[in-house]
Amino acid sequence: MSETIALTPEAAPHADFAVARRPSLLRALLRDPLGAAALAVVLLVVLAALLAPWIAPGDPYGGDLANTLKAPGEAGLLGTDGQGRDMITRLLFGLRTTLGMGISAVVIGCGLGGLAGFAAAYYPAASGVVMRLMDVLLSFPAILFGLALTAIVGPGLRAVVIALSVATVPLMARVVRGAALVVLRQDYIEGARALGMSDARILTRYVLLNCLSPIFVFVTLRFGQVILLGATLSFIGLGAQPPTPELGAMAADGRNFLFFAPHVAVLPSLVIFVIVLAFNVLGDSLRDALDPRLRR
Amino acid sequence: MLRHVLQRLLLAVPVLLGVLLVGFLLMQVVPNDPAVVRAGPTATQDVIEGIRRDLGLDRPLWLQFALYLGRLARGDLGVSIINNMPVLEELGNTIGPTLELMLASLAWSVPLGIGLGTVGACWRGGLLDRAIMMVSVAGVSVPVFLLGLGLVWLLGFTFPVLPFSGRAGPLWTLEGLAGIILPALTLGGVFVGPVARMTRSAVLDVLGADHVRTARAKGLSETAVVLHHALRNALIPVVTLIGLQIGFLLGGAVVVESIFSWPGIGRLAVGAILSSDAPMAQGTIIILSVGFILVNLAVDVLYAVLDPRIREASGP
Repeated sequence: MSETIALTPEAAPHADFAVARRPSLLRALLRDPLGAAALAVVLLVVLAALLAPWIAPGDPYGGDLANTLKAPGEAGLLGTDGQGRDMITRLLFGLRTTLGMGISAVVIGCGLGGLAGFAAAYYPAASGVVMRLMDVLLSFPAILFGLALTAIVGPGLRAVVIALSVATVPLMARVVRGAALVVLRQDYIEGARALGMSDARILTRYVLLNCLSPIFVFVTLRFGQVILLGATLSFIGLGAQPPTPELGAMAADGRNFLFFAPHVAVLPSLVIFVIVLAFNVLGDSLRDALDPRLRR
Repeated sequence: MLRHVLQRLLLAVPVLLGVLLVGFLLMQVVPNDPAVVRAGPTATQDVIEGIRRDLGLDRPLWLQFALYLGRLARGDLGVSIINNMPVLEELGNTIGPTLELMLASLAWSVPLGIGLGTVGACWRGGLLDRAIMMVSVAGVSVPVFLLGLGLVWLLGFTFPVLPFSGRAGPLWTLEGLAGIILPALTLGGVFVGPVARMTRSAVLDVLGADHVRTARAKGLSETAVVLHHALRNALIPVVTLIGLQIGFLLGGAVVVESIFSWPGIGRLAVGAILSSDAPMAQGTIIILSVGFILVNLAVDVLYAVLDPRIREASGP
């Protein structure tokens, strides 16, 4: 393996990433019991959301009005809500909506933020303008974007996804720019330029691949935050609208029955808590595994 | 330092204008025509046109924006569509309770977070440190409504010792004080974790610094080293980060106000948006945004005041 690494500038980062880093990342992650547990929870949650239509025991929209607010165990494993809908079914479909919202916002926000970050790192002339714009976006909290967008396009998941994407863009841009600047100083970039490679090829083949670690950590941590923010916006009525099953909106619905059927509000809130906690622990654990120097 | 402050002030101006422009455009895209709304359901087309002229809605957009800036400068933020109250007056009534709630939350969560973070850093890697870090990760992951509803259920219903709905009065009265406990516990509860994490990391940085080694070498007690040499220096980044987290706190305040029916600006904003009260929504969003610009500016200036390196670097 060592002979190929030095031969071309192209081989070095690939060999490094594909052969040396990836297997050890999973192993390092699994060696950390908290990280392994978080990864298991994340996989379980994603699987549950994907399989919701097949594994859910009931209908997420249709309720049995003769069986409202049943406690866990009385009707179904986790009881029913205020309209007699099965809680497990609602939770599974809620998981789908909440994760879908999170994935959309993270993909859009991180995609645009990544482009801005790479552009700012690669083209110093653009850096000043782009990063000042990012600073401006960064000075406003996500919830304010949520308020402004729901005021413009009306409450709903669309407004929440746009707001959370906008709030993610500057954070991602900073992470990517920082990481890309370090990579761009490496000798193999100079080598690639000397070989006459195009900017796009250098960015995608070398810079992007070698920035993956910090991006990976950021996306994991950000996903947890986006879920929390999105569910919060739904809880105050600005996100998913009834009867859409969404975890934050379900918790808000359950507020009305807090004193005699607390499970309706508490169960979706707990599910959000567990998901966000899992992503936060996984992100921390990933960071430790990818960059042991940061471990404290 | 003056140059640093001036530079920041100059940077804030275009941002402020941008916010006002967004606020202005917000009114252009909302579905309700302000002239139709103001004229009422029975008005004829002539009356509506007249109001449109009075409001300046028939002029070019840039002129409307200039007129709008002029009105803002005079404190005229329009009138609520729902209850006909001047927006500025409603904002004035709600900003106090929100500040009260935020300050009450900071008052207990920041000292506790700094204490926990410092303890964690001093016993780094130990059982106590790991426990504190676990609690703080849980703290940043918990939905504020889970904490709020849990507290309402526990201390408002199961053991009914504290009120959980509305603001009974000013803080200096017993009712007012009792009424703010649960909301402030909820809001502060989600703030302890981030503060503890930031403090721990900042103290760890400083504990490795040369001047701390010198302090230890001259035989100071560990308590003196931590309190006088490490924590004091670590507080500079912590104060800045806390300032920058005010946005996070405000996000929580919006939810806490909604759970506890706290008559603050967050609840006003959400109510305005849900009832399509465009002038009120616009007013709250503008005030909140301007608040942020000012807080960020204050943090920048405070940072320069606290850290002699910045003060020296940017000249007198």
